[in-house]
Amino acid sequence: MICKKVVELLPRFIENDFSEEEYNDILKHLKTCKRCKKEYESMKALIDKLETIPLINVPPSFKDAVMKNIKKGKNGR
Amino acid sequence: MKSIKEEFFTDQEIVKKIKEGDKDAFCFIVDRYQKGLINFIFHMIGHYEESLELCQEVFLKVYSNIDLYDRNYKFSTWIYKIASNLTIDHLRKSNPRTDSLDELNEDDEKKIDVKSEELDPIEKLEKKIVGKEIIDAIRSLDPHSRELIILRHIHFRSYEEIAKISNLPLGTIKNRIFRARKELVKKLQKVEMKQNRGLKRIDKMEMKK
Ligand SMILES: [Zn+2]
Repeated sequence: MICKKVVELLPRFIENDFSEEEYNDILKHLKTCKRCKKEYESMKALIDKLETIPLINVPPSFKDAVMKNIKKGKNGR
Repeated sequence: MKSIKEEFFTDQEIVKKIKEGDKDAFCFIVDRYQKGLINFIFHMIGHYEESLELCQEVFLKVYSNIDLYDRNYKFSTWIYKIASNLTIDHLRKSNPRTDSLDELNEDDEKKIDVKSEELDPIEKLEKKIVGKEIIDAIRSLDPHSRELIILRHIHFRSYEEIAKISNLPLGTIKNRIFRARKELVKKLQKVEMKQNRGLKRIDKMEMKK
């Protein structure tokens, strides 16, 4: 497989979306091509970072505030 | 009030109750979506207090438009669509106060201090337990790319659902997300290079001592 094709497939590969044939070809390529390997690793690191951003807590009073507003009924209904 | 049984109602069943005039049933919708929506809005606009206000607006709009909800959509898709529209609108209208975490450190130190219990996760971000670089990088994307990255990688929405939320073809959505990821990688690499240069400078200074 050539670099151009690998680079094209990487975004899906990173999210485990590939055929078995693609999988084998990409792995084979990544073992030998430094540039694509680097591209793969930086992309993977980015996704790992994104997916570990912690969630912000909701203030306990938030739901009551929403329900109060709704019961005021100024928004139609 | 809340009963165990109601916890297991589907979104559709709850919506039906609300349509029939049961206002209280809406609290289950708030329960289910508040955390997701507040986080979505917070990462979009970068301001905690404002994201709470905007999320209020989203819920009010969801409630007052509930008759317009089309059952062919997943409810979550519809609610995120409303949140997305209001948020993008908000960003367009206001000079967004998207403080970088750096600025937060300097200017709002007191504010954060006072609310540190409430703002625990932001404090965590502040203290760099989580790389603030990544959060700043997301904020520096244009709002539409930012939204796609948040939905896909912080909210784990499927590409199909994101396409529906954004009203765009699946292929377009995928391409835009892939492009935004590349942009983020580049931004992070730049930050890293800068940091490395800074470290080298410090090393040199140490050596001179
Ligand atoms: Zn290659």
